[in-house]
Amino acid sequence: MISAHRLKNDLLKSPPALISLVLLIVYIVIVVLTAFGVVATDFATTQMENSYAPPSLHHFFGTDFFGRDVLDRAMQGTKIAFLVGFFSASIATLIGVSLGALGGYFGGWVDDFVVWLYTTLESIPYILLISAFAFALGQGLTNLYIALGLTGWVKLCRLIRSEFLKQKNLDYVQAAQAMGVGHFSKMFRHIFPNVAHLALIQFTLSFVFAIKAEVILSFLGLGVEPGTPSWGMMISDARVELTRGVWWNLLGATTFMFFLILSVNLLTDHLRSSLDPQSKSTNMNL
Amino acid sequence: MNSRSFPIHYCIKRILYVIPILFGVTLITFIIFNVAGGDPAFEQAGRNATQEQIESIRKELGLDRPLVWQYLHFVKQTLSFSWGNSWSTSQNINQMFLKGVGPSLCLTLPSFIISIGLSILLALYTTFMGSRKPIVDQSISSLCLALMSVSFLVYIICFQYFFAYYLGLFEINGWSFDWTERWSYLILPWIISIFVTLGPNILIFRSAFLNEVNQDYVRTARSKGVSQFHVYFRHILQNSLVPIITIVMLQVPYLLTGSLLLEAFFGIPGLGGVLIQAIQNADFPVVKAFTVMGSLAYIFINLFTDLLYIVADPRIELK
Amino acid sequence: MLKNILLVLLLLSLSAQCTRKNEAPSGELFSYLDANVPNLDPIHSTNKYSSTVTQSIFEGLYHYHYFKRPLEIEPLLAEALPEISKDGLNYTVRLKKGVYFQDDKAFPKGKGTEVTAEDFIYSWKRLADPKNKGQGWWMLDDKIVGLNEWRELRKKGKADYSTPVEGLKAIDPYTLRITLKQRSYQFLHILASPPTVVVAQEVVENYGDQIGNHPVGTGPYALVQWVRNSKIELSKNENYHKSFFPKEGNQDSNNKGDLEDAGKLLPLSDKVTIRIMTERQPLWLSFLKGKIDHGVIPKDNNDQILENNKIRKEYAQKGISIHPQDRPDVLYVGINMEDPVLGKHVNLRKAMNAAINRDLLIEKLYSGRGIKAQGPIPPSIVGYNENYKSPNNYDLKNAKSLMAEAGFPDGKGLPEFTLDLPNSDTWSKQFGEFLKDQWGKIGVKIKLATNTWPQFDKKLKTKQVTLFPNAWMADYPDSENFLQLFYSKNISPGPNSLNFKNEDFDRMFERFLTLPPGNERYDLTQEMVKLINEHSPALFTLHRSFRLPYHGWLKNYNEYPIIYDYLKYLRVDEEVKKELIKKL
Repeated sequence: MISAHRLKNDLLKSPPALISLVLLIVYIVIVVLTAFGVVATDFATTQMENSYAPPSLHHFFGTDFFGRDVLDRAMQGTKIAFLVGFFSASIATLIGVSLGALGGYFGGWVDDFVVWLYTTLESIPYILLISAFAFALGQGLTNLYIALGLTGWVKLCRLIRSEFLKQKNLDYVQAAQAMGVGHFSKMFRHIFPNVAHLALIQFTLSFVFAIKAEVILSFLGLGVEPGTPSWGMMISDARVELTRGVWWNLLGATTFMFFLILSVNLLTDHLRSSLDPQSKSTNMNL
Repeated sequence: MNSRSFPIHYCIKRILYVIPILFGVTLITFIIFNVAGGDPAFEQAGRNATQEQIESIRKELGLDRPLVWQYLHFVKQTLSFSWGNSWSTSQNINQMFLKGVGPSLCLTLPSFIISIGLSILLALYTTFMGSRKPIVDQSISSLCLALMSVSFLVYIICFQYFFAYYLGLFEINGWSFDWTERWSYLILPWIISIFVTLGPNILIFRSAFLNEVNQDYVRTARSKGVSQFHVYFRHILQNSLVPIITIVMLQVPYLLTGSLLLEAFFGIPGLGGVLIQAIQNADFPVVKAFTVMGSLAYIFINLFTDLLYIVADPRIELK
Repeated sequence: MLKNILLVLLLLSLSAQCTRKNEAPSGELFSYLDANVPNLDPIHSTNKYSSTVTQSIFEGLYHYHYFKRPLEIEPLLAEALPEISKDGLNYTVRLKKGVYFQDDKAFPKGKGTEVTAEDFIYSWKRLADPKNKGQGWWMLDDKIVGLNEWRELRKKGKADYSTPVEGLKAIDPYTLRITLKQRSYQFLHILASPPTVVVAQEVVENYGDQIGNHPVGTGPYALVQWVRNSKIELSKNENYHKSFFPKEGNQDSNNKGDLEDAGKLLPLSDKVTIRIMTERQPLWLSFLKGKIDHGVIPKDNNDQILENNKIRKEYAQKGISIHPQDRPDVLYVGINMEDPVLGKHVNLRKAMNAAINRDLLIEKLYSGRGIKAQGPIPPSIVGYNENYKSPNNYDLKNAKSLMAEAGFPDGKGLPEFTLDLPNSDTWSKQFGEFLKDQWGKIGVKIKLATNTWPQFDKKLKTKQVTLFPNAWMADYPDSENFLQLFYSKNISPGPNSLNFKNEDFDRMFERFLTLPPGNERYDLTQEMVKLINEHSPALFTLHRSFRLPYHGWLKNYNEYPIIYDYLKYLRVDEEVKKELIKKL
């Protein structure tokens, strides 16, 4: 059961987690400010004569090929990263929890189907699966959420299913059944709160995973629309810029990405050690 | 269940389960690629194409047939392991696969073994230190998380630029069929690959070991005065065998498919590179065949692992 | 016993090694390709990459002189230029005697057979055979009497290779008579093009569907090894027919020392290794280290080696030179004329045309390596007029007023258009963003979409694109090859991807085809270019001019598009190489 009180207490005791939380809040502020057009408004203004200007006081991270401010683009990239992370992780969590709950709770052919579905998806090499989905859906942010969401739910589903298998035979569920509570209510009112921490941890892991996956997909030409200031676009473009001595585009995107992912990683780690000491959830790497 | 007798019934059931999974894999692969990609007929017709040429190519490739026919044809190919020729290069697909496996394994196998070995040692060390100086354990874990916070792509770009181009320590790109030269192309990809997998591997092994550290027998052993070193390297390692096998075996199928990105950047003629090209050329027979073969590797290695558990730890609960 | 055998084997292998060492050190050439070659079947050889390899292995009746510009056709497997009847329909070609195919196990006893007129007839039927789906078929399409009919019959299964074609006759083993349907001033170029080379029936039948992996021709080089995505190795064809290095060059050949090897037997190198490198950066670094003899400068490294289009001193000291190559190509942004908005408003198209700052485009995206295009015809092709200025050149003010005239002042009322890009690499994206920026200034909004090449190609041929960048590289040096891009009978899936239909243009084009080279043809070409620019279905941007670097040890390097059999002229001076490689 997630106890807000306990979480808070644990958090205050761990300095890395605390710092991460502060960092994360800073990022959220950036996202909100860019979304409302308060900062980083110059991300699309081209000035060809200012192409590849090195970092200066005026352009903290220099400018890119079109003379656009890299800092502004990295901030816009933060917004896109949050969108990608949040929506992909939400879709994955939604699918993972519902299928896992259905399978674990009902058993029988429903369970067989769920297990079959995730075993099948798991058997296909992941990078191929995601490329194939992204390729099939086409470019664009929304398609990216869907592709990442549709392919990222397997681990969570496995976890939730096995937890449901265990929990449904426990006393409190039996007691609820005796009181004539319906299936839906039993699944999501009674059992789910006991496994919600797993969903939460897996959500944060998927969040990080989606942001990293966006970079790889951009490199493969399967990500967002060209010209979108996503970190993936900035990084994959940087590979040809390095040899002409332009390192700031890469640095800008990588720095922003590093601190966001690190803080989410540290927080997840903290969440895990206080909520899931047996650590059933594992990091996904790309 | 009877823990000592070999669970033959379970084994057969487990083996038969391969069939529905294979069905699922072929179905998903088929749907994705037949709904998704470009139509190779247009490209094959060349830049002065006529409608008639395109039609005849589609006919020849079987693209004008009903989808059900195409799917059954694909299943037939899968079962007989005869995929025919690549659409874009007209090479035999099985041969393409066999040619690509070598270079891919050269890239993945050594780095995989080193990474696993290194991370088991480091994970043991960090769990060991965890009980004495928590700060060491904490910093190692945080460092792992930090390493994992940088994109794989950034590692490749920076390492290739800095070590191969700027410092000139390694070859930038290329491949040799001669072993004496080949390693010079492989060292840098190995290093990158180890660097990237070390973080998550250490964390995974660490949590497996931590589960064991808290077990009763460790306390008992300690109280009996068995040396710490002995406890860790003997008992814990031995008892973590099952999770270690799980973790290792989960990664084995990916050794075959190679590393898409490393192969592309370092010009290694492995399966990953072939696959990227096949996707970009809408060369579906190749993509489908490789996907199914990758999945088969995964399915059978999983099957093998499951059967291995029974040998490694008869206490294991079979579901 | 076994010991003895082993001993003998050991001795044999030792002696073999010795003899190999005793041979004079012969030049090995290191070339490159920057794209993958899917197939070495010449009937699919319609691009630079496969042609560079196939033209070294296979040969046709004619080829182009290595040095002369404008390009000049000369005989290769033919004895002389064809005798053409007065009506221009009958071509009589006499073949060189004593030309043999390269040895291959497909031949009886492994010995290549002599090339006869029948081999050419077989090869061209093979190009026409619908089962082979030859990409180069269009070159012969509707040209030779009876060949299209044979193709139709073949499709229905009613003809085979022994079924005669009226327009293709072997008068004797060394004389070939070709009858054309109508007069064609391009036909000689077609006989010099990569898909019309001669292949051997034995080889084709022996290798079946693997023929693309087993090229066997009459050319100066034979395929030794082909490692996909990695390298292609060729070695000298020991039975190569007597063919010599040209004794004449262009005006400044003597100054450049082009003719040092004049009169020598071809090929000049014993071995050629073609490295396949699709990523630009490794290719460039390999060149700088001398691992390949010639290379290409990536856009981003232009300033590193060139200064005002001249090589920098430090590189000149290393023996590196620059070979300027003005390419017979045109780059343009195409508009699908069937788009309901863009197709209807000529002023909108002209506004978008005038909004592209080509100087900036060439400077930023091509590192200055290009000539602003005023029309479809590139400078090296007859029909180019250097005094002609397109009315659609960059003029932002004019562009804005054209927008208003079109009824879309500042882009008001315009939908968002999609620009499809054929690639997802950084350069393509930058190109797309550049246009987005340029057009944004007159209020035209576009969305960018990257594609893989097959996706793009499909969209192009099924008219699913709105705006698209495209490049057309000459198949042969004739303005017809460029003007056909606007002919209404060539619309998608043909090369007229613009789907431009204009009766006036069609009439002029049809008349153009009947005209022999000369003033009348030239003047008509000018009118056609003018008409195209007035309708502005394509926004011509530039003709590329490459600066190709090569090392001091590489002799006779004179690469030019269309001439793909150049490897045989190249030679490595090993002495010079030994010295220069130390400096790299």
